Amino acid sequence: MARIETKSLTKQFGGLVAVKNVSFSLSSGEILGIIGPNGAGKTTFINLISGIYYPTSGSVFLDGRDISTMPAHERARRGIARTYQLIHPMESLDVLENVMIGFIFAAGKSLPEARKSAESLCAEIGLSQLHRSVSQLTMLETKKMEIAHALANGPTILFLDEVMAGLNSDETKAMIGLVQRLAKERNLAVGVVEHVMGVIRELTHRVIVLEAGELIAEGPYEEVSKNPRVIEAYLGGAA
Amino acid sequence: MKKPANYIFPLALIFAGGLLPVFLGAYPQAVARSVFTFMALAISWDMLLRSGQISFGIAGFFGLGSYTAIILSVRAGVAPVVAMLSAAAFAALVAFLLGFLVLRLRSTYFSITTLALGEIFKVIIHNWSSFTGGPEGLVLPQVVFGGKSSSLYWLSYAILLFAVGASVLFEKSKMHFSLTAIRNNEIAARTSGINIFANLLIAFTASSLIQGLVGGVHVMSYGFAMPDTAFDANYTLLPLAMALLGGIHSTWGPIIGALLLGVISEYLKLMIPYGHLLVYGLIIILVILFMPRGIYGLIKKERSKRNG
Ligand SMILES: Nc1ncnc2c1ncn2[C@@H]1O[C@H](COP(=O)(O)OP(=O)(O)OP(=O)(O)O)[C@@H](O)[C@H]1O
Ligand SMILES: [Mg+2]
Repeated sequence: MARIETKSLTKQFGGLVAVKNVSFSLSSGEILGIIGPNGAGKTTFINLISGIYYPTSGSVFLDGRDISTMPAHERARRGIARTYQLIHPMESLDVLENVMIGFIFAAGKSLPEARKSAESLCAEIGLSQLHRSVSQLTMLETKKMEIAHALANGPTILFLDEVMAGLNSDETKAMIGLVQRLAKERNLAVGVVEHVMGVIRELTHRVIVLEAGELIAEGPYEEVSKNPRVIEAYLGGAA
Repeated sequence: MKKPANYIFPLALIFAGGLLPVFLGAYPQAVARSVFTFMALAISWDMLLRSGQISFGIAGFFGLGSYTAIILSVRAGVAPVVAMLSAAAFAALVAFLLGFLVLRLRSTYFSITTLALGEIFKVIIHNWSSFTGGPEGLVLPQVVFGGKSSSLYWLSYAILLFAVGASVLFEKSKMHFSLTAIRNNEIAARTSGINIFANLLIAFTASSLIQGLVGGVHVMSYGFAMPDTAFDANYTLLPLAMALLGGIHSTWGPIIGALLLGVISEYLKLMIPYGHLLVYGLIIILVILFMPRGIYGLIKKERSKRNG
């Protein structure tokens, strides 16, 4: 059953239509790839689902309920979590405290409970030395913390915005394994934005393609990657 | 877990502060009261600053509290304790209501608006002569405790401890996480379930409550209020300079800064009656440029270096 759905979702910034009439749905246990050239509207789409922006028109549904105007913090409490393309952790807090935030505010735990939960989540994800400042983390650790930060909400729906960018191929492999494991164990509905097609092929069950805000193709990666319109969109974007 | 030794120093300090009137004469006690007043204001300013919101409205809520207390005393003849608590409550109420407008603003827009609010309070009180006494102000028939120096000292000390307690509560509770997250990354804070507005409103209301309370206690101890003194820009500038010098985003910082600047400013006032404002301004600029974490920030850094 669809956990999260959009109907004719549209977001306009002045004269620019960043997301245009996008309808999609995502179910538990499913990993969906969201691809498209730079500026296609992928991040804006995630912003609309997580509540950072409200749609200009169209709707977002969570388990069939219209949440289009629900504030972001309430969506977080109802199980929607996301990572950010431009990671900007809470630099005044250490690693553990960064991960505690979602446990405290989205999951509603007390400070001692949140501390314990954050410790075990970090252990599960492979983050150690939790009292370091976030500026001391390696790229891989930063990405892991970003995922832990999102998982702390206790989400059932998770959107990852270019979480593999900046990782080398071994790290990317490890990250793919991590996302697959987490999605499976928690039966998450996952949306993944990635530019590296190898990652999309390996990680996702299904793909949607955005171009200039519009959904131009949908289906398994193998199928979508042969779609002439998709090839054209990417070549057009590269030219 | 914290070692018990971590509590001994603060507790000893609190105790020693309470004992001072036994050893000090009336003049040093008066200086101490003035330092406590600014210290409590500096702490209250920092409590909101932890969210990233820089208020220039300290004098505004201080003055509002002063006038609430003195008007209730003079016009309604309420007991001093009621007057002082009402000062806190009224400042908090006004902040709570205005919060719905001003807390939508960020950075300089917020700062300038809080500054303007203070001016608006002052203009209203200045012009509503029949009720507020206008530019000449109001005078209490009698100050609290009959003006007994040690009692006034303990009163302002108690208010200081209240401010310290509130600040420590902010530091040790969920507020620490929400305010820091809002300051560091407001958007990510939202998607982690933090209700930004509610948390800012709590911080703004609490910080204004303390400012109103300090104003109310101040006016009940000194016995008069005029618009120009109750809303004196010093009540905004000096706490700001103290918190910056001592170290922002902490309770210790404003305490250290207020002790240093408070004592220094007493000398400066005697030596250069009008020049001390210049010195505060200079301190603010130098600290922002060369020591952005303040004295307590340096101490913390040294400590964490030694602990590896
Ligand atoms: N807040 C905003 N105000 C104005 N324009 C915006 C805003 N956010 C995004 N845009 C514009 O909307 C379009 C889509 O941007 P978006 O960031 O969603 O693309 P994207 O697919 O994530 O791109 P990338 O692959 O580069 O991350 C771009 O043209 C962008 O400049
Ligand atoms: Mg993007």
